[in-house]
Amino acid sequence: MDRRKFMALSALAVVGFTLAPILQPAFGSTPRLEDELQRRLGVRLAQIKEVADIKLTAPTIAESGANVPITVESTIPIDRVEHLWVFVDKNPVPWIADVKLTPMNGQVYFSTRIKMGETSNVRAILKLKDGSYVMATKEVKVTAGGCG
Amino acid sequence: MAIGAGILRVPKEAKKGEIIRVQMVITHPMSPPRKDPTTGQEVPPHTLTKLELLFNNKPVSTVNMGAGISANPFMAIALKVEESGVVKIAYEDNKGGKWERTAEIKVS
Repeated sequence: MDRRKFMALSALAVVGFTLAPILQPAFGSTPRLEDELQRRLGVRLAQIKEVADIKLTAPTIAESGANVPITVESTIPIDRVEHLWVFVDKNPVPWIADVKLTPMNGQVYFSTRIKMGETSNVRAILKLKDGSYVMATKEVKVTAGGCG
Repeated sequence: MAIGAGILRVPKEAKKGEIIRVQMVITHPMSPPRKDPTTGQEVPPHTLTKLELLFNNKPVSTVNMGAGISANPFMAIALKVEESGVVKIAYEDNKGGKWERTAEIKVS
């Protein structure tokens, strides 16, 4: 290997190593969530549109991860909604619960208390009748984890 | 309280077409699969898996859940009432437990 080739290769390697950690979060920050979405919904996170007409209420800071109250409400008419999911990105099992909704509900409203292992995003995802997915996201800071 | 005991609460009275909140609390450990810290043995999970909400025996909602829900789960769901009747929840866990609770509502 001549000197010029060696220089070019090592330069590439340096660029590669420095870029790798930067690129990593963009692709692999929530692999468990992506897996779970793929399995349960059959879509990727990037395909779900973030909308303002879903209201996800959760504390900004939770004292205990064992008991985090969340409420999902939406102004989207119930006739247009089919299903609701709740996910926590960084839990060992990101899927928390899912609710099948019917027009008899009258309104999208679901409130419960969930466990969170660490500071993470909470997501409420709605499947609409036309087959599209919309969501609301909120970050909850957890000071003491609640798994196990 | 024993595992599976539950409280179901709805307003006593409502107007026709009103959207009410059905609230429930169920006694259940909702424990995830884990290792026993002293013996190191695997402890299987024990959680509620499914809860159905019915109004006058017509299915309204089905909730599927896992260990991500807190112990002694609390839940609230909306329900539009057009007539007097009985609100029922039927829930089960992964160890074969099955329970039911009902509450009556008067609609005028």
